[in-house]
Amino acid sequence: MPHYQAWEEFTRAAEKLYLADPMKVRVVLKYRHCDGNLCIKVTDDVACLLYRTDQAQDVKKIEKFHSQLMRLMVAKESRSAAMETD
Amino acid sequence: MVLLESEQFLTELTRLFQKCRTSGSVFITLKKYDGRTKPVPRKGHVESFEPADNKCLLRATDGKKKISTVVSGNFWLERLLAYSNLLRANMDGLKKKDKKSKNKKSKATQ
Repeated sequence: MPHYQAWEEFTRAAEKLYLADPMKVRVVLKYRHCDGNLCIKVTDDVACLLYRTDQAQDVKKIEKFHSQLMRLMVAKESRSAAMETD
Repeated sequence: MVLLESEQFLTELTRLFQKCRTSGSVFITLKKYDGRTKPVPRKGHVESFEPADNKCLLRATDGKKKISTVVSGNFWLERLLAYSNLLRANMDGLKKKDKKSKNKKSKATQ
C-alpha cells in the first residue's frame, strides 16, 4: 500500500489506475478535524494508493482532484478529456 | 444506508462534519456507478440490464451514520461545485503554512 509523499506522483498514479478500469476504482477521503489531517486513498481492490497531509494548502489540491475524478465518472465516455480543460 | 437527494445529502454531510469537529473522522467515498439496483446473479440468466455510463455514487459516514447519493444527469456541475465548496469550507482544521507560501492563489480559501 504505497504512501505517496509527492502530490504529483500520487495524482499521476491515481489517474492511471482509474483509467485502467473506471468501474472498479473507488476514492476514499478521510478527514479528522480533531487531529487536523486529511487522507485520500484511491484503490481498485488490488492496488492501493495513499496520500496523507496535515497542510491546509493541500486541501484545495485534494478537493480539486476529487472533483476531477467525479467529473470523469459523470461525463460520458467520449468526454474523458475533461481532465485537461481544468 | 440512507439514499438521499443531492441537496439533502449536502445538508447531512455538513452536519456530519460539524458533529465530528471535536472527535472522530468523516469518511467520504466516491465510486463510478452503472445504475444497478439488483445484485449480479451468480450464474444462469444474463441480466437484461443497460449499464448507465454517467453516474457516480457518493457516500459519507462518520463511523455510525451513513448517507449516500447518486450524482448523474442534469445539473451535475452545479451540484459538484456546491459539494466542492462544502468540502473546502469544512476541511479547515489543517495547519496553515507560515508566510513562506509561494502560491498566492492557493490562499484564496479565506
